[in-house]
Amino acid sequence: MSSFAAGWRTQRRVIGALMVRELVTRFGRENIGFLWVMVEPLLFAVLVGIVWRYVKGPEEHGVSIIAFVATGYVPLTFFRNSVNRAIRIFSANSGLMYHRQVKVLDFVFVRVLIEMIGAMMAYALIGAILIPINEFPVPSDMGALIMGWLLYCFFTFSACVVLAPLSEVSEVLEKLVPVTTYIMIPFSGTFNMTSWLAPAAQRAVYYSPFVHPMEMMRYGVFGDRVNAHWDVTVTLAASMILTLIGLVLCRRVRRNLVVE
Amino acid sequence: MIVCENIQKSYPMGHGRKQVLKGLDLQIERGEHIGLLGRNGAGKTTLIKLIGGVEMPTSGRIRRHMSVSWPLGFGGGFQGSLTGYDNARFIARIYGHEYGEIRDFVEDFTELGAQLKMPVKTYSSGMRARLAFALSLAIEFDCYLIDEIIMVGDANFHQKCHHELFEKRGDRTLVLASHSPSLIREFCNRAVVIHQGEGIVYTDLERALDAYLAL
Repeated sequence: MSSFAAGWRTQRRVIGALMVRELVTRFGRENIGFLWVMVEPLLFAVLVGIVWRYVKGPEEHGVSIIAFVATGYVPLTFFRNSVNRAIRIFSANSGLMYHRQVKVLDFVFVRVLIEMIGAMMAYALIGAILIPINEFPVPSDMGALIMGWLLYCFFTFSACVVLAPLSEVSEVLEKLVPVTTYIMIPFSGTFNMTSWLAPAAQRAVYYSPFVHPMEMMRYGVFGDRVNAHWDVTVTLAASMILTLIGLVLCRRVRRNLVVE
Repeated sequence: MIVCENIQKSYPMGHGRKQVLKGLDLQIERGEHIGLLGRNGAGKTTLIKLIGGVEMPTSGRIRRHMSVSWPLGFGGGFQGSLTGYDNARFIARIYGHEYGEIRDFVEDFTELGAQLKMPVKTYSSGMRARLAFALSLAIEFDCYLIDEIIMVGDANFHQKCHHELFEKRGDRTLVLASHSPSLIREFCNRAVVIHQGEGIVYTDLERALDAYLAL
């Protein structure tokens, strides 16, 4: 057997074991157990959607407001949770460095993956509840929805791969992350389509890596009822550059990691 | 064989760095039993962590040509909030072993009974030692790294370790950090005295112990 195949098998074993470990430590085995992972994005999307429904009316720019908020909030909470969980992730898990097959990158990957699964479960449940009562459309282009989501996930992972090692060497970063994830909301495409903006603002958000996958997902759900535009090269380029920087940083921080 | 080439390790201390190991060379042949001697803070645990790959050397290289256990010591290797069983399940998974076999061996070796259903953070150091030894013995490494912890067990544990590690697995490689001259005399065939960042290898144990006691 080639060493690559052996390495791949070890990698899969480690990821699986870390997933179970993370789910058990975070959610326990009581009541609904790991299903809690989808509760937060679900509540955020549905409750904020209902509030907006009563404040702004049932539709905005011709689409259901609850559906529009849900399609924005699920990815946004996924990003925010993933980023927050990446902070000081290496020191929090340093006990696992006793086992050489466990790599620091695995921690980041596993946490993003868990948030990703939670978000997808929330998304599916929202659809299952809201589609029958006509508050959510049947997705018009599943391919665009899935590709947009995967691109969004890739960018989120790349941001986490950079933030995880940086947060180990800089304490300032930890304090800046919450405010940054809040300030970025207008640039994230969460609450608006680019086409709703003034031309100057449109040119500005073009450079936001969040906007393009968000537009893809919105097109995937609402189809031609929204005027969606995207350019995947912006997000892909940003994600690849961040991943590359992150891998170098992870390696450097691991070399100096002090394990109790 | 495990080869340590010119290992240096320093940690940040204030504005400078504390040099713990200053260029240590060590070759561990298969089947050797090596004792690590040195005063508190001399760098025994650091060296064991480096050999186990828990921490990385600041410079120098470590090559491992056999499977090496994780350092069996007072900390590390376990998740305190998880139960003994959950830790066993996790370790079985990442080392690619059948959980059922590992569990049977752990239950038999540790004699911890229902305590295995409790979080590991509630364990005494003796109980942790039992669990760590049971798991690493069940996984069957070529080389065992033991950092002091063998001392905390009771008489029954010593007897079990003696039987499982030194009799049944006497052909395995062993790196043992200890302050106990009798343990070193009984189980080791070479010793390294670590002092002021340098390691001196002795093939004569009595000379090693004399050097250690003179520090």
